[in-house]
Amino acid sequence: MIKIGDKLRFVSFIVFILWIGLGFNVQAQDVEVKATLTETNIFAGEGVTLNIEVIGSQFGTFDRPTLPDIPGLRWLPNRTSQSTNYTYANNRTSVVISYGFQLIAEDVGSFKIPPIPVEIGGKTYNTKAIPFKVLDPKTIDTGKADSSPDIYVRIEPNVTNPVVGQQVIATVVLYFKAGIEVNSYQALAGWKAEGFWKEELEMQRQARSTSSIINGVRYQRAELLNYAIFPTKAGELTLSPFPISVRMRQNRSGFRDPFSFGFGQENKELNTLPVTINVQRLPEPKNADLIGAVGDFKITRNISTSKAFVGESIEIETVVSGTGNVPLINKPTYIFPSALEEYNPQENTQINRGNNIISGTKTFSDIIIARNEGEFIIPEKNIAVYDPNKKSFKYTTLPALHFEAIPDPKATAGSQLVETRLNIKPKIGLAQWVPTSTNYLLNNSSLFIWLALPFMFLLGAFGYKQYSDKMANDTGFSRSQKARQKSFDTLQEASSTTDIKLGYHLIQAALSQFITDKCNLPEAGLSNLQLVQEVKTKAPNSDFSDLQKLFNKCETIAYAPDVSQVGLTDDIEIAKELIKKLGKVL
Amino acid sequence: MRNISTLIILLATVFTLGSHGILAQETAQVEFDKANILMEKGDYYNALKAYHLIEAQGFRSSFLYLNMGISAAQIDSLGLAKYYFLKTIKHFPNDTEAKVEAERALLFVNSQFSRQSATLPKLPWDKALDWLKEVPTAYGVFWFGYLMGIIACLLLAGKWFSIITFKKLNQVTVIFAISAVLIVTLAYYVSYIEMRFNDAVVINTETKVLQQPTETGTTESFAFEGYTLTIDYKLSKENPDWYYVRLSNGQLGWIKKTEVKPL
Repeated sequence: MIKIGDKLRFVSFIVFILWIGLGFNVQAQDVEVKATLTETNIFAGEGVTLNIEVIGSQFGTFDRPTLPDIPGLRWLPNRTSQSTNYTYANNRTSVVISYGFQLIAEDVGSFKIPPIPVEIGGKTYNTKAIPFKVLDPKTIDTGKADSSPDIYVRIEPNVTNPVVGQQVIATVVLYFKAGIEVNSYQALAGWKAEGFWKEELEMQRQARSTSSIINGVRYQRAELLNYAIFPTKAGELTLSPFPISVRMRQNRSGFRDPFSFGFGQENKELNTLPVTINVQRLPEPKNADLIGAVGDFKITRNISTSKAFVGESIEIETVVSGTGNVPLINKPTYIFPSALEEYNPQENTQINRGNNIISGTKTFSDIIIARNEGEFIIPEKNIAVYDPNKKSFKYTTLPALHFEAIPDPKATAGSQLVETRLNIKPKIGLAQWVPTSTNYLLNNSSLFIWLALPFMFLLGAFGYKQYSDKMANDTGFSRSQKARQKSFDTLQEASSTTDIKLGYHLIQAALSQFITDKCNLPEAGLSNLQLVQEVKTKAPNSDFSDLQKLFNKCETIAYAPDVSQVGLTDDIEIAKELIKKLGKVL
Repeated sequence: MRNISTLIILLATVFTLGSHGILAQETAQVEFDKANILMEKGDYYNALKAYHLIEAQGFRSSFLYLNMGISAAQIDSLGLAKYYFLKTIKHFPNDTEAKVEAERALLFVNSQFSRQSATLPKLPWDKALDWLKEVPTAYGVFWFGYLMGIIACLLLAGKWFSIITFKKLNQVTVIFAISAVLIVTLAYYVSYIEMRFNDAVVINTETKVLQQPTETGTTESFAFEGYTLTIDYKLSKENPDWYYVRLSNGQLGWIKKTEVKPL
C-alpha cells in the first residue's frame, strides 16, 4: 500500500527548495527597499542599528548594500548582520532580506542618513533619507533622570482644541525605561470620557515600542490603544485617568527581588493623568441645515421611484458617508407636500474602525405615501458639513426630487373611498334625540333594589317553608294557628242555627275548642271550670269574668225560662270578642 | 277620596314632566333644522356653533354628530371632525346608516392627516372588554347575570317546596348562583372601566405629551392633530388642567385638557 500523504509532503518540500533556490535569480517584481534607524535621538557614544530591508515576491540576485559616509555616525563593519524571512499571506509569498548595520554616534548635532542605493536585477532602488540627532550626554539632568518614573502611561489626544463633533484620536501610550520588559497589558474598566462619544479603534498591529527622549531620559514609547472621541458639547472637557494593568519584568543589573525566584515578573496598575480638552462651538452655517456632521463627508439623496401608485410607499434615501463623527449625524429634515403621508423614518449606521480613524456610512430612509394622485416635488435642500481641517463649512445641495402618483388600477373598493374631498351630505329632517348624560351602571343606585329583590324573595320563601314545616310537624303549633278560624267557623254555624240550645252548645264548643287549641290541651275531657282556670293561669292579670259567665250560661241554658234569638246573637258577638281577647294572651 | 286626589296629583306631575321633555326635544329639533339651513348655505362655522348649542342643552343624536363632523371638516378642523365622527360611531352604534357614513367620513379625514400614529395591537383581554362595552354593554351583562341569579333563586325555592326535583339540582343551582355573582361583578367591572378610561382625539395641530403635569415637564412625545389616545380619569383627578393619557403606541404622559376632546 502506497502512503499518498508521505509522497505529497515530499513533493511539497522539493517545490519549496526549488522556489528558494531560484527565487533570487528571477527578475525583480514589486520590490520595495526601505531603511529604518532604531533610534533617531542618540547620545554621543551610543550604538544604533540601521536596518535596510529588501521586500518583494520575486527579485534577482543583488549584493549587500554599501553604506555611504554618514555624518555623525561611524559604521562598525564587523557587526553587520543579515537575515531572510519568508511570509505567505493572501495567496502570495513575500521575501524580506534584512541587513543590520551597527553604527556608533560620534559628533553632536542634527544629521541625516542619505538615501542608500540598492541594485537589484540591474535596477537601482534608493531608501528614503532618515533625519536623526546626536545629543550631548552632558545635557542629561541626572537628578531629573533618577527621579523620573520607570514606567508610566499617558493619554495623548491628537487635537486639544477641537470643535463640537470633531473626531479626536486619543492614544493610550506606555512609556518605560530601558531595562524594563513589558510582557502584556490590559485596559481596566472605569475610564470615563464625559461629554464625549467614544469609539475604540482597531489597532493595525501589535504594539511596538520606539525610542524617545523625555527630559533627557530615554524611554521606550509604545502606543497601546486608540480611541476616537467626539465632543458633544462646547467648553472645557476632561478625559478622566485611563486605568491599565501591565505585566512587566525589571532586568536592571543590581536589581534583584530575592522573592521572585529569578522570574522577576510583576503586575502593575497604571493610570493616565487627566487631560483637559477645550472644545469650541461650531460656527453658524449660511442658508443651510446643520445635521451635526463634522469631518469629510459626501451626502447624496435619491428617491426609490419616479412613478408610484396612490397608497404605495416611496422611499427617500439620504446617504452620508465619509470620515468623521458618523454616529452623531442627525437626519436632515425635509418639507413634504401636505398630501403626502409620512411614516417613521429609519436609519442605518455602518462604522469602520480601521485605519486608526472612524469612517463609515449613515443612511436615513424617509417613507412617504401619496394619498392623492398628482405630481409631487420634494424641494432641494442645502446641508452644511464642517471640515475641521479647513476650519470652514462645506455646503452640499441635495437636488429637488420629483415623482408622480397615479391611481392604482387594482385598488379595492374600500380604498377608493379615500377621496380628495369629503363627499358626504349632511343629514337633515327629523332626528332621534336622546339625553347627553350617560347613566353608568356603577352610578345607578336603583339597580341595588333590583339586586335585593331575589334575596327578599328567598327570605320570604325560606320563612314560609319554615312555617309550613312547623305546621306539618308541630301539632300544638298547628292547632294554635288554626284555633281562631275553627272557633269562628263554629260561631258562624251557631249564628245560622235557629235552635237556641244548639246555638249555645256551639258557643261553648267554640270557646272550649279555642282555649284547648291555644294551650295545646286535650280536645275533650276538660270542664268549663278547668278551662277558665287554665286561662287564669296563662293570663293572671286579665279579667275573664265574661268567659266564666258565658260558660255558665251555656251550661244552664236548657233550664232558662225565656231565651230569644237576639240573646243568642249577642252572646255570639261576646264569644267573638272573648276569642279575640284570648288570642292576645294565650 | 284622599287616595284618588293623590293619584291625580301624581299623574299630573308625570304628565307635566313628560310634556316638558317632549317640548325640549321639539326645541332641539327646531334648532337643528335652523343649523341645517346655515349649513346648506355654506355657513359651516355658524352651523357648527348652532349644533354646539343643541348639545349644550343636553340632547344628542346621530344626525347631530354627523353634521357637526361634516361642518368641522369643511372649516378644515380635521381633528374636531374626527372627534365628531368617532362620537357618532361610539354613541349610536345601532344607527347603521349614520355609522356607515361616519366610517366613510373617518376614512377621508384620517387620510388627510400628514402624521399618523403607530398603533400597538390590543391585548385579548382589552379586546374582550371593548366588545363587552360596545355589544352587550355593561347593562346587558348585568341583566344577563341578574337572570342567572333569578334562575338560581327559583331553583332553590323550587327545591325547598319540592316543586322542582331532578338528580343534580344542587349542582345546577350552585353553578347558576356562582355564574350570576361572577357575571354581575363583571358588569360592574366593565362599568368601572367605562368610567375610568375614555378615548379622546387631539384637536390641535401639535401638542406635547409630558412626563409631568407642568408646562416645564420633560417631553415624553409629541401628539399631532387626529391622534387618538386614552384618558385615565382616575390618575388625572389630582391635576385639574391635565389628563394622564396613553398614546396609541403605548407611551404614557400628561397632556393639557385644552388640547384634546374626550369622546
